[in-house]
Amino acid sequence: MKKSIYFKLVILLLIFQGCSGDSDTIEIIEKTDQSNVSDNNSKSTAEFDRSSMLSFWADSIILPSIIGFENELNIFNENVANFTANPNANNLSLLREQWLTTYKKWQYVEMFDMGVAEEIFFKNRMNIFPANVERIERNIKNQKFNFDESANFAAQGFTALDYLLFGVEQEDDTILTKYSDSSLNYDDYLIQVTSKMLELTVLVKAQWEGDYRDSFVQSTDNNATSSINMMLNDFVYYFEKGYRANKFGIPAGVFSGGPLPNRVEAYHGEMYSKILSLEATTAIENFFNGIAYNDPETLGPSIKDYLDFVESGLAERLSERINEKLQGGRTKINELNTNFIKQIEDNNTSMLHTYDAIQSTVILFKVDMLQKLNVSVDYADADGD
Amino acid sequence: MFKSYLNESKIHPAPLAVFRILFGSLMLTTLIRFWANGWIHTLYIEPEFHFKYYGFSWVTDFGNYTYLLYVICIISSIGIILGYRYRLSIFLLFLLFTYTELIDKTTYLNHYYFTSCIALLLCFLPAAHYFSLDALKKKKTIEAIPSWMVDGIKLFLCIVYFYAGIAKINSDWLIEAQPLSIWLTSKYDIPLIGELLKYKLIHYTASWSGMLYDVFISFFLLYPKTRKIAFLFVLLFHIMTKVFFPSIGMFPFIMIFGATIFFDVKWHKNILLHLHYLGIKLTQKFDFLKSKLTSKKSITLFKPKKHVLPIFLTFFFIQLLLPFRYFAYPGELFWNEQGYRFSWRVMLMEKKGYTTFKIKDSVSQKTFYVDNTDFLTPFQERQMSFQPDFILEYAHYLADHFENQGHQNIQVFTDSFVALNGRPSQRFIDPSTDLSKEIESFKHKKWVLPLEDEIYGL
Repeated sequence: MKKSIYFKLVILLLIFQGCSGDSDTIEIIEKTDQSNVSDNNSKSTAEFDRSSMLSFWADSIILPSIIGFENELNIFNENVANFTANPNANNLSLLREQWLTTYKKWQYVEMFDMGVAEEIFFKNRMNIFPANVERIERNIKNQKFNFDESANFAAQGFTALDYLLFGVEQEDDTILTKYSDSSLNYDDYLIQVTSKMLELTVLVKAQWEGDYRDSFVQSTDNNATSSINMMLNDFVYYFEKGYRANKFGIPAGVFSGGPLPNRVEAYHGEMYSKILSLEATTAIENFFNGIAYNDPETLGPSIKDYLDFVESGLAERLSERINEKLQGGRTKINELNTNFIKQIEDNNTSMLHTYDAIQSTVILFKVDMLQKLNVSVDYADADGD
Repeated sequence: MFKSYLNESKIHPAPLAVFRILFGSLMLTTLIRFWANGWIHTLYIEPEFHFKYYGFSWVTDFGNYTYLLYVICIISSIGIILGYRYRLSIFLLFLLFTYTELIDKTTYLNHYYFTSCIALLLCFLPAAHYFSLDALKKKKTIEAIPSWMVDGIKLFLCIVYFYAGIAKINSDWLIEAQPLSIWLTSKYDIPLIGELLKYKLIHYTASWSGMLYDVFISFFLLYPKTRKIAFLFVLLFHIMTKVFFPSIGMFPFIMIFGATIFFDVKWHKNILLHLHYLGIKLTQKFDFLKSKLTSKKSITLFKPKKHVLPIFLTFFFIQLLLPFRYFAYPGELFWNEQGYRFSWRVMLMEKKGYTTFKIKDSVSQKTFYVDNTDFLTPFQERQMSFQPDFILEYAHYLADHFENQGHQNIQVFTDSFVALNGRPSQRFIDPSTDLSKEIESFKHKKWVLPLEDEIYGL
């Protein structure tokens, strides 16, 4: 028995010996020559502070995005009040302009589908498309509806606004006529949709301003419900579903056998789908690279840094390949027509190529990245050996 | 010499009785745990489609009656522990447990296969001729059984360890310290040691010691002088695997308890003696049993039936060869997985895949992609994405499904990418192969694109 104790001691010693030796060598920090990379990035090879990544996400990306969005939504709300009081061409164009500004800001918020946002189906109620026009018209006519019903999810949010501001009639003149006649209730529905959006946004914001933020930041473990895993899952899911499929794949007909141009984002506004998808691209790139919402110069610990940390020592980095692919997707989007409907009708092949470019990033995210970080993509619960 | 060993060498039946009791208890725990986790529902009842083992497509789940299979298995395990109607109990357990495993190969685990094998062996062993309710009823008590009956179980354990060990002698495991590098780094949240798990040295130490442990542990367990310390290592090793990989389930406990078969007869008798006193204490309340426990019996030797030895020899012949069947296939075993299962390859791969299916009308050339979540559970989708036989079976299922929906001239293509042990992902299935025309067989699957790298070793 004595022997076994000695043996164990020797092993323990070996382990500790090894650790100290190893950390010495690892202290040599790889210098990066990119000028815009902050201190946070170059440190990443030696240590990685998951908690500070979570704080950065919460304090510099998520909450500021929600606040930035809420601010624009408030302005939009005022514009709605002005417009419904004085439905003229000038107010309509001001309203549409602000709608686009707010919609762009929404692209930074959609991916954070956790906590209250998930519970109240925030993303489905803000931006599920196509809009259910029939339902919207029925709601307007009947004046009796409940926005909290899932059947009404496609009758509220940005898609409903898209229809209300661009689609209720063909010409602007006739649209204005509809809003001028209060007995038709279009103005009332517009007000209600907007105030519901504000109400939901305030709920989500309150969560991040409250205790949720602290528990989010503290949950650094690696399990199905921890913040990092939840966030990575949401991010990848958003990229695959909300971004790749909804904005490109479904309208291009990837899942249906034929193109469905009426499924583009902001269908009734027609010329905004590209602008919105580019904005979403920026939101994705910024989150991946840890770029603060309010200041593009401020970099914080990010998924990129986390990947570089687990890949320290490797010459060819996954994070670089991901950024290249994201850039490749952006280039393809840039080549598209401002009006996705027109793009799909005239030359759907370019749309499909854009989809393919984005799809290649999905693979890097879902296969390579999640393998490196050993995060499971699902909550499937079973033993493995 | 081998012949005289088979015919004459005898051993006391106590080790087999202890093994029976431990096995029954572990099965009972496994089954209850499986049920309590809701897995009967999520793994067997919920999926609308099951991945089948080749030749076992006739195995189906029975909807909610699947629970009945588990009820019978649970009752059987209790029968095995008590040694009550042992033959029937162990036979039912073997049959029904194996049946549930055959429902869906998504759930394949080496230790479930191990369990089925042990249950099969136990069907032919006199594990309840001693220290059992069955034995109480009999006039005679067995004092000796052929040694090979206990040694057979030892041999099986040795095979499992040794084959698991030599499977680790490959360049990924020993030179890259993969997949342990990936897995251990991500276990940073384990208290106390979590912080150390990011260091390469730890990954290498774990990889090498894991390989050495698996290859050599059975020899140290066999040799009486090293047995005690070897068992300490068994404890240490399997507890560590449980700490690092909680999802490994019952496996560590099965191996720890299984290893007690290597102990002396004396140890086993001692255990049974303790159980016996416990039994007496309990049975004092039940007078009718007491008389039976203390009654004198004549002592005999156990004579096995003639067919048992040939069955054992065949079993081990298969066990020794089966893991090497991968030599019959070209390409990288970890990549193609032709001959991977049923070979004691445990925790060797971190493999992730992403596989989507394109349905094409060969006449109109129209195509669309399938949303896998319409047909598969997340767990099934994950397993399907990197295993060629799953991909093929699912492709056929999709072809049938869309044909029944009225689609015509169906072709099924895949867009499939897989990453193995930290390598960058690469295309997995030839995207130009119409999988609906490919037929499942034991032949090499030519439509799996080769791994663009080499893994050296066994």
